Amino acid sequence: MIRFSAFFLLALSFAVAGCEDSSGKKNTHQDAQKAKDVVKSKGTIGYSALTLTNPFFKVIADNMKLEAEKHGYDLIVVSAERDVKTQADQVNEFLVKGVAAIVLNPCDPQSIGPAIAKANKAGIPVFTNDLKYDGHEGQVVCHVGTENYNGGRLAGEAMVRLLGGTGGKVAIIHFPQAESCQLRVKGFLEVLDAHNAKSQGDKIEIVATLDGGGARDEGFKAAKDAIEANPDLAAIFAINDPSGLGARSALESVAKQDQVKIIAFDGQLIGKQAIRDGKIVCDPIQFPDRIGRSTVEQILKHFNGDDVPKEILIPSELYYKADADKDPELNDIGIDKKL
Amino acid sequence: MSSKHRTWLINKPFVRDYGMIFVLLVLASLFSVLTIKQQHPTGEAAGRQVADLIISQNGRQARVLIVTRNTSEDLAFANGVASSLIDAGATVLDNVNGAASDAKRAIDSILASGGEIDAIAANDVTAKWPVYDRFPSVGSGKCVVPSTYTWPDFLKISNLLGVANQTAIYAIIAIGMTMVIITGGIDLSVGSLVALASVGTAIMIRDAGGGAHAGLSMVIGAAIAGIGICTLAGAFNGYMVTTFQLPPFIVTLSMMMMASGLSYRLSSGRSIPELPTSFFWLGRGEVAGIPNPILLMLLLYIIAHIAMSRTVFGRYVYAIGGNAEAARLSGVPVKRILMSVYTICGALAGLGGIVLTSQLSAGDPKFGLMYELEVIAAVVVGGTSLMGGRGKVFGTLIGAFIIAVIKNGMNLKDVDPFNQKIVLGAVLMLAVLFDTLKRRNSRA
Repeated sequence: MIRFSAFFLLALSFAVAGCEDSSGKKNTHQDAQKAKDVVKSKGTIGYSALTLTNPFFKVIADNMKLEAEKHGYDLIVVSAERDVKTQADQVNEFLVKGVAAIVLNPCDPQSIGPAIAKANKAGIPVFTNDLKYDGHEGQVVCHVGTENYNGGRLAGEAMVRLLGGTGGKVAIIHFPQAESCQLRVKGFLEVLDAHNAKSQGDKIEIVATLDGGGARDEGFKAAKDAIEANPDLAAIFAINDPSGLGARSALESVAKQDQVKIIAFDGQLIGKQAIRDGKIVCDPIQFPDRIGRSTVEQILKHFNGDDVPKEILIPSELYYKADADKDPELNDIGIDKKL
Repeated sequence: MSSKHRTWLINKPFVRDYGMIFVLLVLASLFSVLTIKQQHPTGEAAGRQVADLIISQNGRQARVLIVTRNTSEDLAFANGVASSLIDAGATVLDNVNGAASDAKRAIDSILASGGEIDAIAANDVTAKWPVYDRFPSVGSGKCVVPSTYTWPDFLKISNLLGVANQTAIYAIIAIGMTMVIITGGIDLSVGSLVALASVGTAIMIRDAGGGAHAGLSMVIGAAIAGIGICTLAGAFNGYMVTTFQLPPFIVTLSMMMMASGLSYRLSSGRSIPELPTSFFWLGRGEVAGIPNPILLMLLLYIIAHIAMSRTVFGRYVYAIGGNAEAARLSGVPVKRILMSVYTICGALAGLGGIVLTSQLSAGDPKFGLMYELEVIAAVVVGGTSLMGGRGKVFGTLIGAFIIAVIKNGMNLKDVDPFNQKIVLGAVLMLAVLFDTLKRRNSRA
């Protein structure tokens, strides 16, 4: 047993040291490069992402890292995996480490408040992106996100163009826990209501609003149920790309992919490829790269003594197959291969 | 080491039951060494030191700007600088307590009125603001900061208390889980019961108690009711397991889904922040500098330890886990004990939910996600056998801390989140392997 516990500890310390080593080597390499540009590290920014299993947040993290390193800051990325307590614990650890600023995608618009208040009390400025903090307990310096409401309206307009002449039944694959998704659906529904109010026999009817968890597997199940209950479904609006692609798989499994059109949201690489291949009609796209960069810009402005706006919203744009065909991001074969 | 010697060590009761404490200590020392870093002193003493540095560099005529943030530690620092400088006869141009934009305004107004800045008294954070370089006559070279000292991040009091505080909820729930697992059962419903207690209590306070204006008696009543719901759910688990002989895995899996569904339904999937400040005492208050959840955890562990090692109830729990049939034949009231074990487990999950709600100041159906697995992992790492019959309550506490320390240490060392999962999985597997080898060893 003694021998075994020694082995146990040895293995663990190797594991930790190993993880650290690989990143450590990278850092020294980068440090050498950085040393030419900046004199010293100006500090560390801590970023607690909602989840890193959705590539959207990975893009935000990568762009934040690039922008931060350009200006002599380091970025630590952790993933809260949608759990508020995990995120609150991570904020606590950021404070122990003495980071200069904290960036969050709040896992809950309310319950993350005490953690933000704690950071405020320690004098560390807190920024949010994509998802917004909605409580009053703590102070967020600045929020950077997508104009979700307008994006939802764009999706609604695309849907009206798609079904305008004929009308038809539409299902929404929702993720009601996220405020951003509620705004998307709100904008979407308002455009459809306006269309229906003046329509002559081409009403677009919402027959189901199901929770697709914002993820591929749950989106698949939700879409499958929707098509089961409404065999004459005409279209689906999915609030993000993963759940939209899940819906597409569900339609393919019952051979209804030509009958039911999909409009999704996000414009992630997987979504854009699906648009290029005709699997999704169009997306109102978000710009996670701009969100990430802009967040770091606001942090720099804040430290530079400039006033920072409370909220920066980046408008969304509709992205069709025509856009995908001339998108350099997709035509680069290297990227396709990497996936 | 001779095998005879080894056997002697293993057979020492303390080593046999709490051997994992050595693992915990080694882990703690490992992370202490790995997280050694330059630390920046704060407070008044650091402020006086900076003032002395400025006087020695710039003389007694120094014109000094003080820049700190608006926190209590920084204010003490600024006061230390200001009082020492004034005592020495130097000039304090301005004392900025705020953000970089406040520093910019202060420098603007000093320069506009023809003033000059010889030195800036700052701390490690405010000295890094790039704002000073915007003024050619100032520059960040004029910042004077307190000298640093070396100390591991891991061993900072705030970090140690943070780790204990983060673990408290898992550890509290793990008491009930330890008892259930010692009887040879399992309870998968605890995570969902955390959410149910959280949502149930928050809704009661919001709808019946007047939300943020609810009185103390209402708050206590609602908290007890929230725990009560979970106690009933636990009792129901126990009833199904004992009366119908259903496998605990399936019974509690069903309860997990029902409780989760119910809490989403009651709350419509949204968090409920309408809670009075009196509710936050349990999760966020502290007594003598120690957060209440830690004190609550320790108290419960002492009670549970006594119950498991010094009472008839405890003996019966072990007897059932060792061999339920033999226990029944020797007159142990198996059904009643199993009922109470599942009930206690439900009640403690409910209590965990109340503490979490109080810590995060909102009721939320998303709370408790995957807690059952966290808690089972703590119990297993703590040396309790999934086969039942053996295990110690304090072993579980050590197990919970081992997991928490590994997580905390890896976070402090910036280990990639995906690698963290791999390490935690490996730790759990090693712990089970350890348990199996130990059993084989002691049988031999």
